[in-house]
Amino acid sequence: MPAASDLALLQGTLDVLVLKALMFGPRHGYSVATWIRETSGETLNVEDRALYVALHRLEDRGWVESEWGLSENNRKAKYYELTTRGRTQLRAETTRWTQYAEAVFKVLRAAS
Amino acid sequence: MRLGSGIRKLLRQPAAVRDVAREVDEELRFHVETRIETLMTRGMTRQAAEAKARAEFGDLRAAHDEITAIDRGRVERERVADWWEALTQDVRFATRALLGRPSFLIIASMTLALGIGANAAIFSVVDAALLKSLPYADPDRLVSVWPDAAMMPGVFVEVRDANRTLEPIAGYSGGTAVSMTGTSEPARLVMSEVTSRFFDVLGVRADVGRTFVDGEDLPGRDRIVVLGHALWEQRFGGDRSVIGRSVIVDGISRTIVGVAPAAFHFPSPAVDFWVPISLDASRANIGRYWGTSHLNVIGRLRRGVSVAQTQHEMAMLIDRARSSFPWRMPDAWGTGVTVVPLERKVVGDIAPMLMVLFGAVAVVLLIACVNVANLLLGRAAAREREIAIRASLGAGRGRIVRQLLTESVMLGLVGGALGLAVAVAGVRALLLLVPAGMPRIAEVAIDLRVLAFTMGTALATSLVFGLAPALRASRPTLQAVLGATRSVAGTLTRRRLSEALVVGEIALGVILVAGAGLLIKSFWRLHQVDLGFRPEQVVAADIPIPAFPRDSAARARLFYAAVLERARAIPGAKSVAVASVLPFGGVGSMQSSFAADIEANPVAPGGLGPMLVQTVVSDDYFRTMGIPLKRGRGFGATDRDTTSAAVAVVDELTAKRLWPNASALGQRFKPVWVRPWVTVVGVVGTVKRDSLNSAGEVSVYLPMGNLAGFWFPTQMTLVIRADGDVGTIASRIRESVAAVDPSVPVKAVRSLDDLVSNSAARARFTMLLLATFAVVALTLGAVGVYGVVAYTVARRTREIGVRMALGARARDVLAMVLREGGMLTGIGVALGIAGALASSRVLAGFLYGVTPTDAAVFVSVPAVLAIVALGACVIPARRAARVDPVTALRSE
Repeated sequence: MPAASDLALLQGTLDVLVLKALMFGPRHGYSVATWIRETSGETLNVEDRALYVALHRLEDRGWVESEWGLSENNRKAKYYELTTRGRTQLRAETTRWTQYAEAVFKVLRAAS
Repeated sequence: MRLGSGIRKLLRQPAAVRDVAREVDEELRFHVETRIETLMTRGMTRQAAEAKARAEFGDLRAAHDEITAIDRGRVERERVADWWEALTQDVRFATRALLGRPSFLIIASMTLALGIGANAAIFSVVDAALLKSLPYADPDRLVSVWPDAAMMPGVFVEVRDANRTLEPIAGYSGGTAVSMTGTSEPARLVMSEVTSRFFDVLGVRADVGRTFVDGEDLPGRDRIVVLGHALWEQRFGGDRSVIGRSVIVDGISRTIVGVAPAAFHFPSPAVDFWVPISLDASRANIGRYWGTSHLNVIGRLRRGVSVAQTQHEMAMLIDRARSSFPWRMPDAWGTGVTVVPLERKVVGDIAPMLMVLFGAVAVVLLIACVNVANLLLGRAAAREREIAIRASLGAGRGRIVRQLLTESVMLGLVGGALGLAVAVAGVRALLLLVPAGMPRIAEVAIDLRVLAFTMGTALATSLVFGLAPALRASRPTLQAVLGATRSVAGTLTRRRLSEALVVGEIALGVILVAGAGLLIKSFWRLHQVDLGFRPEQVVAADIPIPAFPRDSAARARLFYAAVLERARAIPGAKSVAVASVLPFGGVGSMQSSFAADIEANPVAPGGLGPMLVQTVVSDDYFRTMGIPLKRGRGFGATDRDTTSAAVAVVDELTAKRLWPNASALGQRFKPVWVRPWVTVVGVVGTVKRDSLNSAGEVSVYLPMGNLAGFWFPTQMTLVIRADGDVGTIASRIRESVAAVDPSVPVKAVRSLDDLVSNSAARARFTMLLLATFAVVALTLGAVGVYGVVAYTVARRTREIGVRMALGARARDVLAMVLREGGMLTGIGVALGIAGALASSRVLAGFLYGVTPTDAAVFVSVPAVLAIVALGACVIPARRAARVDPVTALRSE
């Protein structure tokens, strides 16, 4: 089984995971990290640093917007929300990833 | 919802860049601390939790830096985008607002165009004459030595060889009228005699061929000429092969060595070509070398040398040159040597006049601004609700001011663009009007500098007229927000502002009109001046001696006698004469004067004898010119014989100055350098010589037929007094001269009236422009007063209705409005008089026979202003008086 950190290196993978994390509504960075960790069954152990860089880069591209708000433990936290363009991007990336993964599976099955 | 967020986005204060790092810090701290807390709730110790959280995160410092960089870029970009979006929105909004009220747009932009265009036109002249540096290499190092006097060639040579501050140094003569023959038809042209390094000093290279080289101002090497570009094109067809060809200048054959560049016009645009002056120190030429020939001197400062150092050295050298003269110079000679930057000499005394015009035209622009500001104020009233709504939607005051200023700036730019068209037309008109001899007039053009000035002025004025109304309009008024139809308080302060503007406008108008009034009166006074001769129905034509050597005085005398004979035969010629120089002679006619010894009043050695202006005339000169003979006799047949006694006629001024206690008749004088005494046989009336406002100069008349020790002039001017129509005579003069000698060019036939009025050209120019500005100011002022009063009346219709319902008669209402208009006018006029009294002193130098505080002007100008201003009130006042109380009370 390949190391999870290797997966994270794949270009754009982290971006699409973050976008997916925001699909269900605004989250702050910590919540995005937790969501990815838990949803992947602790397999994708993403370094937090990379996650935050990705969040800000997505904001820079206009796919997410940020706003300060209050967290569950009543502290000031920065919340991220998908923009319309971000949502479109997520759909496109999801399709691309699914096709890619299916293609890889096909090849792997044929070879085995 | 969408609209709300849109506006919020628009008005969002962009996060300051330094806040970005703090926010990133806060965000990351939240993450790490939350993680630690979570881990601790799972039973970890704080230390272990901290270690794990940090390990999971990775390099915190690097993350912070990387994220901050990303965010900064984004914030910066958003700020630019916001700014641009707001701008385009403002512009779109302003365009719609301006186009929505085309009458306002047209009136305001035309007013501005007038003001801006007039300023740009005057600026183009000011720029060419005063601001642009001279079109020569390294112009800052060019100086003029002794700019109000001139050096004899002998002195020049000593100064040239001994000085250590100027390199190179050169002399030139201002321009002499000469005849050029040996090409196509003979021509009367203006020549400047220069020393060999003249072109080197100015750093000018020939367009074709070469200029003069060092040493070509020595006898034997000086028979060459450099043509002016215009002359080369007109008379030589721009043919490059003219180099090496010969022309004959006043009988002397000279070889063409070069052509000057087209833009080169030194010392004046009148100069057609340049020849080397002959620095001939031989005995035969001693009078010319040390006496009668004079050079203006220019030089280039050596690096590191100051004007003051040069001045010091020149004073010393010129004082030393005194001992080189072959005769004793008066003690007063050589004092007062000055060195000034060449630019100052070229510009001369034109600067004060241009600055007055520039100031006046700026006042016109200010008045135009006031009018537009008032228009904007009136408009702002109509837009009160719109502005209030925008404010209630969250637009800050700054945002609204910016919006309104955008509108002003666009208005200003439209005004500027139209103003440019006004400027182009204005410059064309100016060039037709400018007096002859205006420095650097050839350089006047609408160029990039003028364009930049125009647009800069447009922007500046749009801020001037836009700011007050914008600040005023953006002040939130509660009534407007609450939906009240009219906000009384707002109207009141706005009215105060308008009234203050109108008062200022009237005051400025008074200042301008008073200035114009002074100049008009001064100009009128100039025309009342007694000339001492009658210029009506007299024509004059310069006729040079034919191309024989200058010293054949006998042949010259015969030539002019023959010309006079022919001229007498012209039908309609009542009286005919020639003179070496006419009063108001103009360019090319050289007035010569000499230092005299007076027999009755000898000058002590080292003292300076009186300088007498000499005019060589033929017999009938006084009769032809209408100069009255006061005592003794004029010239006659006995004075046509060179063997008879030398005689002269003097004018009354001379008689009084030279022989204050005795009759002038029978008195004797002579030039300091020649023998025979000249006896005064008659006294005639004094004439004005150069200009209408000059005091007379001490002058003597010598008979052409018997000049004793004087040189025969190289040119005489034919004057003919006509019986009837002057026009037919003018055309016959050329024929008469050609009949005597076809090689003699006759340049221009002018009427004496024209010569006299040309001499007042600068006064006329200044007066005409200032009067034009005054009329524009008066018109704009009247429009301004009308606008404000009319607006006030319109706003007070209801109040007037109430008054009338309560029993006020139409007459009372009329009087009330006029009283209010009169009050504004009164205050404005009072302020204006104070301003005019304070500022008219700058005009003192332009006035003749009028003091800057002339009572007649200062009484009549305010009266005119008051009448115009009250006249502007009458229309709205009558409208107010016709208000029907019933309609007025229902109207709101």
